[in-house]
Amino acid sequence: MSETTKPAYTKPLPDMRPEGDHWWAAMKEHKLLLPTDSSGTPFWYPRALVPGTLEPTQWTEAKGTGTVYTYSIHFIGPSKAYKGDPPHTVALIDLDEGVRLMSNLVKDEEGYPSIDPDDVSIGMKVRVVFHDVTDEITLPKFVAA
Amino acid sequence: MSEATPNLREARRMLGKGIVIAGVGETEQGKLEGRGSFQLLAEVTKTTLDDAGITLADVDGMVTAFSFVESTLMHSTTFADYLGMAPGYFASVAVGGATAPLMAVQAALAIDAGLAETVLCVRGDNTRSGISSSGMIAMAREMSHGAYEAPYGLTTIGGYGLLAQRYMYEHNVPQEALAAVVATQSEHAALKWNAMLRDVVSIEDVMNDRWIATPFHAMDCSLVSDGAAAFIVTTADRAKSMRPKPVYITGIGEGYSHQYITSAASVDGVRQGLGRAGRRAMEVAGITPADLDVAEIYDSFSFTPLIALEGIGVCGPGEAGDWVLEGNAKLGSTLPMNTHGGLIRQAHLGAMHHIVEAALQLRGEADDTARGGGNHQVPNAKLAITTGSGGILAATSALVLSSEPPSAA
Repeated sequence: MSETTKPAYTKPLPDMRPEGDHWWAAMKEHKLLLPTDSSGTPFWYPRALVPGTLEPTQWTEAKGTGTVYTYSIHFIGPSKAYKGDPPHTVALIDLDEGVRLMSNLVKDEEGYPSIDPDDVSIGMKVRVVFHDVTDEITLPKFVAA
Repeated sequence: MSEATPNLREARRMLGKGIVIAGVGETEQGKLEGRGSFQLLAEVTKTTLDDAGITLADVDGMVTAFSFVESTLMHSTTFADYLGMAPGYFASVAVGGATAPLMAVQAALAIDAGLAETVLCVRGDNTRSGISSSGMIAMAREMSHGAYEAPYGLTTIGGYGLLAQRYMYEHNVPQEALAAVVATQSEHAALKWNAMLRDVVSIEDVMNDRWIATPFHAMDCSLVSDGAAAFIVTTADRAKSMRPKPVYITGIGEGYSHQYITSAASVDGVRQGLGRAGRRAMEVAGITPADLDVAEIYDSFSFTPLIALEGIGVCGPGEAGDWVLEGNAKLGSTLPMNTHGGLIRQAHLGAMHHIVEAALQLRGEADDTARGGGNHQVPNAKLAITTGSGGILAATSALVLSSEPPSAA
């Protein structure tokens, strides 16, 4: 693979909904935003209205650091695109701001490849990196902090 | 019985009329090539009507579920048309694995409201042989949030794995506890005439199996199967003229924790959320876990019954693993669980088989020796709980079934 040609990304891409546009636009700029209520308390996942109070959603930028709440090493992926890959680790990460989100644990700043399963533990400290999977879509991934 | 809250009184009033399961049926399970989704439903309808000793003309209500193969927005009426009947009451219930007990609840509500008297509750599908690969991917993605979970390659198995690993970490539960659920249920499935897996496996066999997503080996996971099952809900009065011994619905309940696994607050939050269904059903029935003779607990993965047993109060938090390792869930022991083998060893049709098995146990008809199986009857079984959970431990429903009418509350 030459460095100038990006391989086609065949893994699942996000379902895009209008209320997510702002978050995905920031993600493209390598900024991890969190939706919040009017007092600045963050929630996850992005919705048009704040769950519970149904106020308009506001936004804040996350520091990008957190702790692994739990993980599962996937030896089989959800589609054929994972065939032949080493196992990937899906984790729930408690961000320092107090919300929990799902991501992958990876080795490098580029957001891949998958972390070695032996290096994963509940409670490990992690920080966000940004994986530009297509020209339009960037996914937040996490490396050991 | 303690002073009932108004909503408990209402539930007991309805069930106190005598709402019963009066006929049950199951097809073979497994890979049933050449039999379509509606065909399987029709076949099991005939089996179930024969069991009840009635004909289609006696059925005036139809509750179905959904299909992964036949996409229709009107599943219950589509199937009514296939059968050539015009039900006075119809509903299609779709809450994943929580569907089957809710079908019984839907039937009971319809009967109580006078919308129907004899309701066929039927679910089945040719999921294994009929589903397309894109349908399989869509089914796997169904449990994930499309934007904030699916892009990370989450599978349904791994979604359960996330909570299971945290549960094992918090309570220091060994991998052997999960394997003990599989080994126990394999002993039961060996006796069930239509179980897909009839071989008995050991804890070591499960531990040495290939990994799918930690902490689950392949044998920790439920099966993908073709097949159908059904039960008829009617009044105790109407059931007097039917063949089988009636099985009374004496408790109903639902519980909710979250929709997406990312939104699950904590292990204990999930335990309480899904446990509420069974706790509420037992409260309505006026019983405690110690009164149960048999437990048919939704077992999408080996971990699922552990947190469910704790949620309904059979075991304390973190104690279910030891409880199963000690053999308490086996036939002949404290509280035989999933006496048909469950989703892990018999077949996967949501919680339908759990209800059918519980009814057969309470009828005293769980000896399959004549059909090529074995005797998995719990002697003198009078009280059973059945549960079903949809999503990733998200939404749960439960029934308490009894061989005796509900006592006056």
